[in-house]
Amino acid sequence: MASRVAIPGGSDRGRVVQATIAASAPCASGAPEAPVREQEPDLEERTDPDRPWDVIVWDDPVNLMSYVVFVLRRVFGFSEPVAHKLMLEVHNLGKALVASEPRERAEMYVSQLHGYGLQATMERSS
Amino acid sequence: MSRVFQARGDAIRAQFEPQEVELLRTLEQGVSDTLAHADETDPVIERLFPTAVAGDDDADAELRRLLRDELLEARQAGLRALIEILDRARLHRGRLRVDLTDDEPLLVLGVLNDLRLAIGARIGIEHLERDNIPDDDALQYRLAVMDHLGWWQEQLLVLLDGPDEVRTTDEQGDWP
Repeated sequence: MASRVAIPGGSDRGRVVQATIAASAPCASGAPEAPVREQEPDLEERTDPDRPWDVIVWDDPVNLMSYVVFVLRRVFGFSEPVAHKLMLEVHNLGKALVASEPRERAEMYVSQLHGYGLQATMERSS
Repeated sequence: MSRVFQARGDAIRAQFEPQEVELLRTLEQGVSDTLAHADETDPVIERLFPTAVAGDDDADAELRRLLRDELLEARQAGLRALIEILDRARLHRGRLRVDLTDDEPLLVLGVLNDLRLAIGARIGIEHLERDNIPDDDALQYRLAVMDHLGWWQEQLLVLLDGPDEVRTTDEQGDWP
């Protein structure tokens, strides 16, 4: 991502899951106590055709950090701190999981993110 | 250097140097031509119409086909709207002035991003080591143009980033 400032790294998985929940229920994104799925899904769940699709945003050298924050807020309704953390994850780790949704909704998000010029892909949740 | 974008009541006023407007017109023409040819091996096309499904080429091809027309039309509409905005600009004290209303600031923000993405793809920015490019290399000019448009984006983002503009899908949401 294009930036004039060096930014220290750091991320944690729990926050991403919380952000994912926020994506499906924007009104709850400010709640720190949102429930988090902690256990690995069993085999039955993993072969489930209704298994969600993960939407991933990838780093690129052109999009401004502030622009990525703006787009994440606009598309997903994230609060500024959540969008900022996800942007930093993209910047530092090369990608971030921004939503986990049924197929059609994931496609809609990918379409919107491409419209804003972000590199976003979807894949079956593992 | 003075700011290009400033709040003006409900509008955002843009004041460009005449050569900046010429630059935007030149860049717009280049991207419009690229979109019209839509050569899938062109790095600009690859960047503006990126991979949609990871790890499944068939599903990716299918979804990209599905999204492509809408994405192309949106990009072309944005470029046309930029030109209409520039055509509206009037000379005032040596600068070309135009007020952006309604969705126009957001639209200009996105078009500036498309123009920067196109330049970046054209010069292969993924593989460039900026510090190793000689000052007199033509690439430095392209990079400077990207920075310049990026600086405009930053100005727009500050003006757009109020709580009224960035809305959640839930209007009752509790946002700062």
